[in-house]
Amino acid sequence: MTAPRGAFPAVLVVIGAALAVYPMFGTGYGIRAGLQMFMWIALAGSWNLISGLTGYVSFGHVAFFGIGAYAGAILITSAGWAWPIAALAGGLAACLLALVIGYPCLRLKGPYFAIAMLGLNEVLRALVSYFEGLTGGGNGLSLPTLDASRSIYYVMGGLAAAVTALTYLILTSRFGLRLMTIREDEIAAEAMGIDTFYHKLAAFLLSAIGPGIAGALTARDQGYIEPISVFPLVVTVTMIVMVLFGGKGTVWGPVVGAVALFVIQEIVWARYPYVHPLLFGAIIVAVVLLMPRGVLGLLQLKYRLPRTI
Amino acid sequence: MNVVLTPAMIGQVLLSGVLSGALYALVALGLALIFGVMRVINIAHGPLLMLGAYVTYFLYSRAGMNPFLTVPVSMAVLFVVGLLLQRALVFRVVGAPELSSLLLTFGISIALVNLTQLAFTSNLRTVEYITGSWIVGGLALSKPRFIAFLFAATLTALAFLFLKSTRLGKAIRATSQSREVAMVCGIDVGRIHLLTFGLASALAAGGGALLAVIVAIQPEMGGVWTFKSFLVIVLGGAGNYPGALLGGMLLGLVEQLASLFLTTQLSEVVAYVLLVVVLLIRPSGLLGGRQT
Amino acid sequence: MTSKVLGALVLAVVVAVISVPADAQGPIRIGASLSLTGTYAEPGTFQSEGYKLCERDLNAKGGLLGRKVEMVVYDDQSQPATGVRLYEKLITEDKVDAVMGPYSSAISEAVVNVTEKYKKVMVAPLAATTSIFKKGRKYAFMVISPAEVYLEGLVDIATKRGLKTIAIINEDTLFPKASAQGTEELAKKAGLKVVFKEAYPKGNQDFSGLLIKLKAANPDVLAAATYFDDAVALARQMKELDVNPKMTAVTVGGDLPKFQELLKQTAEGIYGASQWEGTLPYPGAKEFFDAYVKEFKHEPSYHSAAGYAGCELYGEGVKRAGTLDADKVRDALLALKTRTMFGDYQVDKDGFQTAHKMVLLQWQEGKRVVVWPDDLANGKPRFRR
Repeated sequence: MTAPRGAFPAVLVVIGAALAVYPMFGTGYGIRAGLQMFMWIALAGSWNLISGLTGYVSFGHVAFFGIGAYAGAILITSAGWAWPIAALAGGLAACLLALVIGYPCLRLKGPYFAIAMLGLNEVLRALVSYFEGLTGGGNGLSLPTLDASRSIYYVMGGLAAAVTALTYLILTSRFGLRLMTIREDEIAAEAMGIDTFYHKLAAFLLSAIGPGIAGALTARDQGYIEPISVFPLVVTVTMIVMVLFGGKGTVWGPVVGAVALFVIQEIVWARYPYVHPLLFGAIIVAVVLLMPRGVLGLLQLKYRLPRTI
Repeated sequence: MNVVLTPAMIGQVLLSGVLSGALYALVALGLALIFGVMRVINIAHGPLLMLGAYVTYFLYSRAGMNPFLTVPVSMAVLFVVGLLLQRALVFRVVGAPELSSLLLTFGISIALVNLTQLAFTSNLRTVEYITGSWIVGGLALSKPRFIAFLFAATLTALAFLFLKSTRLGKAIRATSQSREVAMVCGIDVGRIHLLTFGLASALAAGGGALLAVIVAIQPEMGGVWTFKSFLVIVLGGAGNYPGALLGGMLLGLVEQLASLFLTTQLSEVVAYVLLVVVLLIRPSGLLGGRQT
Repeated sequence: MTSKVLGALVLAVVVAVISVPADAQGPIRIGASLSLTGTYAEPGTFQSEGYKLCERDLNAKGGLLGRKVEMVVYDDQSQPATGVRLYEKLITEDKVDAVMGPYSSAISEAVVNVTEKYKKVMVAPLAATTSIFKKGRKYAFMVISPAEVYLEGLVDIATKRGLKTIAIINEDTLFPKASAQGTEELAKKAGLKVVFKEAYPKGNQDFSGLLIKLKAANPDVLAAATYFDDAVALARQMKELDVNPKMTAVTVGGDLPKFQELLKQTAEGIYGASQWEGTLPYPGAKEFFDAYVKEFKHEPSYHSAAGYAGCELYGEGVKRAGTLDADKVRDALLALKTRTMFGDYQVDKDGFQTAHKMVLLQWQEGKRVVVWPDDLANGKPRFRR
């Protein structure tokens, strides 16, 4: 069974319109929730760019979120920048961090890269705490009070859309093809003449921008950040679960995963906060063993959907 | 605050480093075995250690057992747990792309920690069996850490003896050198994988049991041990089992020295920077080992 | 992806996000998020029990403004970001009539932005950091003594005893930092020499490097601004490394019964700071203590008492204002000067607590003994020889 041709873009437009109109009659909490959902889509989609496409698992990806949060927050409080510009700066800061980390670490082969990324968020947390003159250290940073949830909702929505669009562009390009070749067999890719290091680094840098901007936007929205809250392991875990569940290496997989898990999280977390991580762990195990291609992978098989979905 | 560093202080720090080094070596050896034999990166290693600590705690507080005597019990329990995990879940990703085993063990680790939180709450538990120190030559020798050190060193030595001299140990080493050739030699590789995971879990549990006497126990305690065990393997060389010993000692010493010369804040960073530096300069470890 | 599946997803999202608003009339609903799980679970749970008891007692006395009081409590998992979301939810979705504060300075600091935005009075009973109340906020009220004076008693006793040197260490988060800074200022004013200072990261378990340096500095007094976990680890490792200052004090943790349960003999002689003890001669303190033990089968900590008092104080403010209107309640609370079972209450124009006094206690033979200030003490400090 295949869907009619124009159906998919039409559905997208309808959903897009609904989401755009929502803030006009949503509550403060609802807008925040929507904004967070967009954030997860952006985060999951970005993680997918490096880990889904190249197979290099980034366990420390929340580091880019945190760095973006701090960069944005510092620019807003100390330099008085407007938050949209500060958000872009956050993305840039994350990109720079990715360069600094990626340059040495991406020369390592897959498993070693993963190990190196494991401790990254803790290290960054320690560094942020250490440079307390700049970051407020353990005291955290308080941003001047500003109620911009509505605007941030739209910007975050834009970010989510941008990351998804970027994934589509990469997946349907030669660049993306080469990334996936690296994933499938890195040695063969090198033998074919692909500069694997450059490609991995490019993907890594691109995967850092989304979280960086998202971090800065979240900092603005929350109004207060401290090292623990912006560098928690659970954010990386959630990113990973979302992408795995939805389907890594696809365009809409992270979106499906993010939305599905976010909704589940809202319902389950409200009732049973205590079993939250257990469920995530169980989902990861189940997905890895039973549906390694995620929900989208299953759908692709069943409905013969294109590879680039 | 700047304090003048005296030789006595450095001596104290080196002593602390050696004491903790043995524990690192014990725990990391397990991880090294899993990686060497199955090419699986066991992120659940820390939680296994944590479970070992809890076994000790409950035997001590409910049954009044001498915590040091609970070590073999803890190891036996986790040996079985390890077997079960391997048989049910891990064996499916042996030989699969590393991404799968990474993610699988990652999922298992989160689940284990949360299960423990649900079962026992996140409240701190302690095993107040022995505290304080002996004063030896002007240095304070912590009683619990020293006894734990003796046990850890003994266990590690026994493990090496096992690997070197027994038939099973040799089979394990053979499998880690080359799976195919081992199969050709008639070794039941599947069984070796099973036993290795069990053995590694037991070693982690041994470390956990000993740790229970030294620090407070809580479900989240394992995470940092996973990372440090990886660090030890990287330092010593993956697949190089004696390397785990050297790596453990090295990590213990470097950590303690760092917290002396720098602040406690930065000593975490030092460990990480060390990891990255060694990975870049000598990915096969300081003693050399197998290239991946 | 079929449009049906997508449509269902969107519907699910929308449904999950919009919840049925609560009935505005009927009981007065007071919302709060508390740390029932996570790092602050122990004190957070004590605080929630204090709130529960206050709710019960208020209703037993006829409620507020003739209406029953109902507390709506969520778990913020000891995370400021979660707390922020929950207060948004409480105010905009659950439409509670009033709010009470969460546990800890960090979470209070994060959520006060939300309560200020919606102009809701928030009594924050467990926020001890001065800076929270010095940022021009209008509706936040402090109940306990600020972090800076937690170890005032330690410095006082040390000076009176003729001790000369002090070391100050702290966890690198909001409250302990403020506490360490305050202690340093008090020490300098009293003429004590600060010979060692170091901060350690949250969650740190290994103090050996720090303790070795501290031992070399040989302070008479050790002031440690801690939370619970680190206080326990610190005490044990001091024994192991043979670090024995004449006086050792911790901030949070030293006052909890669990401290002694976990450490047993090692806790002996350590000083803790407490905002409240059941033995203090405040009106209603004993009654509260007994009722609490009866209800919850364990002793209250000062967090329980602070929670109880905070809720009681809010109720008092509403009573005097005669309405739930935030501005009127605020004025009532600003003008209020009273002594509750928790101690004295009076705030300055920023809502910052000026009247409440901390006590210093010491573990003597497995029991907590209040040793400072003199008018509230029921024992004398014991010193290591």
